[in-house]
Amino acid sequence: MTDKTPVTVLTGYLGAGKTTLLNRILTGDHGKRYAVIVNEFGEIGIDNDLVVGADEDVFEMNNGCVCCTVRGDLIRVVQGLMKRQRPGKPAFDAIIVETTGLADPGPVAQTFFVDDDVREKTVLDSVTALVDAKHVMARLDDSKEAREQVAFADQIILNKTDLVNADELATVEARLRGLNPLAPIIRAERADVPLDKILNRHGFDLGRINEVRPDFLNPPHGAEGHVHDADCGHDHGHDPHDHDHAHDHDHDHDHGPRGHAHEDDIKGIALSLDRPVNGQLFTQWLDQLLATQGQNILRAKGIIDVAGEDKRLVFQAVHMILEGDLQKPWGEAERRWSRAVFIGRDLDEAALRKGFEACAA
Amino acid sequence: MTQLSFDAQPTAALFDASGAVFALGDGSIRFEDGTVVEAHDGAVLCAVRHPSGQGVITGGDDGKLVWSRADEVVPLADAKGRWIDAVAASPESGLLAWSSGKVATVLDPSDAAFKRAFTHERTVSGLAFDPKGRRLVASTYGGVALWYARIAEQQPAPMKWAGSHTGVAVSPDGAFVITTMQDNQLHGWRLKDQRNLRMGGYPAKIRSMAFLSSGKLLATAGAAGVVLWPFVGSDGPMGKEASEIGFEEGAVVVHVAAAVKQGRVAAGLADGRVWWADPAGQGLAFVKAERGAPICALAMSDDGKRLAWGDEDGQAGIAEL
Repeated sequence: MTDKTPVTVLTGYLGAGKTTLLNRILTGDHGKRYAVIVNEFGEIGIDNDLVVGADEDVFEMNNGCVCCTVRGDLIRVVQGLMKRQRPGKPAFDAIIVETTGLADPGPVAQTFFVDDDVREKTVLDSVTALVDAKHVMARLDDSKEAREQVAFADQIILNKTDLVNADELATVEARLRGLNPLAPIIRAERADVPLDKILNRHGFDLGRINEVRPDFLNPPHGAEGHVHDADCGHDHGHDPHDHDHAHDHDHDHDHGPRGHAHEDDIKGIALSLDRPVNGQLFTQWLDQLLATQGQNILRAKGIIDVAGEDKRLVFQAVHMILEGDLQKPWGEAERRWSRAVFIGRDLDEAALRKGFEACAA
Repeated sequence: MTQLSFDAQPTAALFDASGAVFALGDGSIRFEDGTVVEAHDGAVLCAVRHPSGQGVITGGDDGKLVWSRADEVVPLADAKGRWIDAVAASPESGLLAWSSGKVATVLDPSDAAFKRAFTHERTVSGLAFDPKGRRLVASTYGGVALWYARIAEQQPAPMKWAGSHTGVAVSPDGAFVITTMQDNQLHGWRLKDQRNLRMGGYPAKIRSMAFLSSGKLLATAGAAGVVLWPFVGSDGPMGKEASEIGFEEGAVVVHVAAAVKQGRVAAGLADGRVWWADPAGQGLAFVKAERGAPICALAMSDDGKRLAWGDEDGQAGIAEL
C-alpha cells in the first residue's frame, strides 16, 4: 500500500497567472512527477502526458445534504490517474487541479471528502488562490466567484506585486485578510513562488491545525480594518460598533469606489473564549450551525478547550462537511483557550459570538 | 494455479479465446501464454473482449482505442488525447462502442466505414449493449439514454433518475437496465413500462456487478459479502429482498465476477482475498486466502471453470475452480 497522493486545488481568475505557475510546475527541474488536471485544453502551451482535461461536471449528491455538490469529472479523472500507480510507488508526487475563474471551489474540495475511491487514494492538501495585485480589487468588486475563491483558500498567492506600489499593496492585503483571516498571503512576481511553499500545506489535516489565531492577522490598532475585541485591553473611548461599520471617520488616502474591506458580503469572523467549553453544548451548536448555515459557511477551523478533557478538540469544516477530533494534549505551561474562525457569506457576527460564548462550561 | 507479478496495476482481467488476459496501468496487455503487447502510451482505462472473442479492446488515457491479440495490435479509434472512459462489445451483433466525454461512438469491426456518434448532455460513465446487440445504453448523470446502435439520426429514449449513475448493465433477458450509483445504491428500470427499481442499503460504493445463473441472479460488490438480487419473473427484483453470501464482518467485496450461463460467482475483497461460491450450494472456496493489496481486477471464464484476478500491487493469478 502506498501513501495517499496530495492534491492541491489552484483557483484564480483569468489573467491571475495560473498558466505561468502551472507551466513552472510542469517544466521545473524538481525531479517530481505532478499530474495537472485542467479545465481547458490548450491554455497550457506545452505537450505533456500528465496534463489531463476535465469537463467541469458538478452534481448534487443524493445523501440529503443540500450543499453536498461534487465534481463528477474529478472523481473519474482521479480514478483514472490512480491506474498508473505502480507496486509500492505512488503514481504521482502530487496532483494539481486547476479551476476556471468562475468555478466555485466548494464542490472541488467536497469531492475529496465525499467519494470513497477518491478518499482512499488522495488527500486534499490545500486550496490555493492565485490573485494578481493589479486587478484583484476590481475582480473582488464585480465577481462573487473571485470573493469566494479568496475566502475559501488555505493560502493566497498575491502575484504581480511589482505592478503596484506599497500603498496599493497594503490596501489589497487588508481586503484579502478581511475576506479570509486564516490564509497566509504569499507575495510573488511572475508567479515565482517556491513550489515547496505551495505544495504540502496539509491544509485539511486536523493534526496540523496547530494554530488558529483570531487576533494573529488582526491589523494593529489604529490601522484600517482593526477590530476591537475583548482582548484589546484598552479603552477605545468611542463606540466600537461605530468604528467597525461607519465610514465617516477620516481617510487620509483615496479609497475610490473600492477598498472598503468591511463591505464585502463575505468575511472571516474570529471567536475566542478563555473559559473551558462544554463539549456537548459546543458540538450541538456547531452541528446546528452547519446544518442551518452551512451553505453560507465556506470554511471553518477551530481549536477548542473542552472542560474535563486534556486533549484539544480540533475541527475544520467545508460548508456542511465537518471533521473533528481530539488532538495532542495541552502543554503544562500552555495557555488553554478556545478559538475558532468562520469564513462565510452574510454571517451574523453577534449571533455567532453569542452562540459560541453560550457553550462555556 | 498460476501466479503472476506485474510492474503495474491491472485495470482489468478478462478471458478471450486464448485464455486469461490482463490489461495494465502501464498500457501493456499480458496474455496467458506470456505474450506482452504494448497497446497504449499511458494507462489502460477500460477493457472488453472483442466481439469475435479474439483478443481484447482497450481504451487508454492516451486517447486511443486498440484491439490487441497476441500477434497483432490494431488501432481502432483516436480521441485526440482525450481519455477513453468506457467500452462495450456485443458478440451477438458484432458491434462495439466506446465513449470519451459526452460522446459515445459505435463501430462495426467488420465494416471499417461504419461509425455512429451519439452525444449526451452529460459525461458518459458506462456503456452496455442489450442482449441482441441492437441497442446501446449509456449511463450519465441523471439517468441512462437508449440508442439504436446502427441508426445515424435519432433521439435517444431517456430514462431518468436523479443522481450520478456510474456504470450500467442490461439483464440477459433484455427486460431491465441496472445502473450503479455514486450514492452506494443500484437503480433499475423495467424497459417495458419504465418502472423504477430502487436497490439500496449498500455500505460501500458498488464498483462491479455481474449476472449469473442465466440471468436469474445479479451479483454485486459494495458490501461485506456478495449481494444477490433475484431476477425471476416479469417483476425482477421488485418487491423482493436481496440475499448476501460470504458475509464477513469488516470485509468489503470490491469486485464480483460470474459467467452468465453458469451458477458460480467470485468475489475479490479490499483485503486482497478472492473466493468463489455456488449460491445454491454451501460455503466459500478461497482461491486466494492470504491478504494483500485490494483486488482491482477479476474475471471468470465463460464456462465458469477458470478465474483470473489482479491486485493493486500488480500481483495476479489464474486458477482452475
